[in-house]
Amino acid sequence: MMDRGTEPDEASGPEPITTPGSDPLTTGGEVVLNLRAIHKWFGDNHVLRGVDLEVRRGEHVVVFGPSGSGKSTLLRTANLLEVPQSGSIQLEGVEYGPGLAGETRNRRTARALRQRVGMVFQQFNLFPHLTVLDNVSIALRRVKRVAREEADLKAARQLKRVGLLPKLGAYPGQLSGGQQQRVAIARSLVMDPDVLLFDEPTSALDPELVGEVLAVMRDLAEAGMTMVVVTHEMGFGREVGDWNVFMDEGVIVEQGDGRIYTDAVEARTRDFIKAVL
Amino acid sequence: MSMLAQQPVRFNWAVIVDNLPLFFAGLRLTIVIAAVSFLIATVLGVMVALARLSRFRIVAVLAAGYINVLRAIPLLVFIVFVYYGIAIFFNLTFLTAIQAGMLAFSLQYSAWLGEIFRSGIQAVPKGQREAALSVGMSRAQTFVTVVLPQAVRIAIPPTGNMMVGMIKDSSLVYILGVPELFRNAQLLANRTFRYFEVYLAVVITYLLLTTGVYYAMKFLERRLEPRDLLATGVPAWSPFARRRQARLQRVQEQVREGVVAAI
Repeated sequence: MMDRGTEPDEASGPEPITTPGSDPLTTGGEVVLNLRAIHKWFGDNHVLRGVDLEVRRGEHVVVFGPSGSGKSTLLRTANLLEVPQSGSIQLEGVEYGPGLAGETRNRRTARALRQRVGMVFQQFNLFPHLTVLDNVSIALRRVKRVAREEADLKAARQLKRVGLLPKLGAYPGQLSGGQQQRVAIARSLVMDPDVLLFDEPTSALDPELVGEVLAVMRDLAEAGMTMVVVTHEMGFGREVGDWNVFMDEGVIVEQGDGRIYTDAVEARTRDFIKAVL
Repeated sequence: MSMLAQQPVRFNWAVIVDNLPLFFAGLRLTIVIAAVSFLIATVLGVMVALARLSRFRIVAVLAAGYINVLRAIPLLVFIVFVYYGIAIFFNLTFLTAIQAGMLAFSLQYSAWLGEIFRSGIQAVPKGQREAALSVGMSRAQTFVTVVLPQAVRIAIPPTGNMMVGMIKDSSLVYILGVPELFRNAQLLANRTFRYFEVYLAVVITYLLLTTGVYYAMKFLERRLEPRDLLATGVPAWSPFARRRQARLQRVQEQVREGVVAAI
């Protein structure tokens, strides 16, 4: 009842811990997701060479770098779609990865991790045989065992949030790329994740559709969602990125706040930013 | 020139009409043999496909061997082998000619169908599995709710072809003396000498059967094509779809009006 008068997008925010507009980084949220010494090989190809990344609650981490730098692989290890050969993946202090030597291991399953870390893919990967509503509600029903009625309402709320309530009876094939990606975001949001990962969410979109997806992501950021975004949209990264990470050849070359875009220390970072901005 | 050659050909459809019961008895058996064999083959085929994709290497290799061996034997040879070679030789009296035929069909078709189902499962893009896993589904949930429904749709056209093939191949058990459509027609033709009429009737009957299956599959394909249940506002024609439509509308209206803002 109280929510009715307010802006719906704000009301439905996943428990925002900061007031919109304030900078979460300055509030110094605790570390939610902690990746340490991640090593990943594909055959002989050493794609991640000891990567460390901390993600704080409410923070928006932007990862950029040339293709083949390992940024997507890093993101995919963060919910164990790729299992690293070594390294620690901790969510709120609980280990889900191979772990580091000498640390106590109360490892939990990849499945438990994925229920709390959402993922938005470059190619959307919506389920083409399900309606938009079912795409969003299916995980609630199957994974969290929520009853259909309640799951549908929760799913529809998230669809409203991304502006696609009128399309809930459509199938993914009938939507534009931008609409599909917004449904995919709703599909992740409905699980109420601690962290939301974006793997180049606008790279597969026609240029005129990029804006609507970025707008949804901007709203999420303002609502205090913890986000890790791999993107080529440097303008967007610069705008929402509290913490910015430049990767090249499987390592983090440089990371820092927004000043990285203007005053990077490393020559490689400067060259890349100059080339794309 | 003999007088016989100059006689005009005269069709005599009476031979069909007079022997309709024999005809229909054969048709019935043909349908039973084809349907039962195909049903068993489908069940076996799903198992073969899953075995072929098993994480356990031995299971996958065994399934591949099963498929390769069964596909390599001519069906007619296999039928004769199962009945005369196995059932008669080992004196398996419980295995009648009909059952031996159906066994041969089921086994060989399970190999073909297994390959169709396997390729259907593999044709589902990798991103679909990843998306399902990324929202926390288990491997089993991912397979049942995401992979399988899409694999079934991919597999429908080739499975339909196999079904048509099954109806046609069922005639091969004439060699065991099983009184199905073709065998009965043969007996009738030999007795009445009306070869043209009898075999023409047989050809037309098979044509109708297979065409029927073909259109049934087309219909099924169309039914499974996704369409927006709310876009036009036209009520869906099946009660099942109407219920879904009503459910979607209800959810949409409730959320639009902010009734459930508290969730």
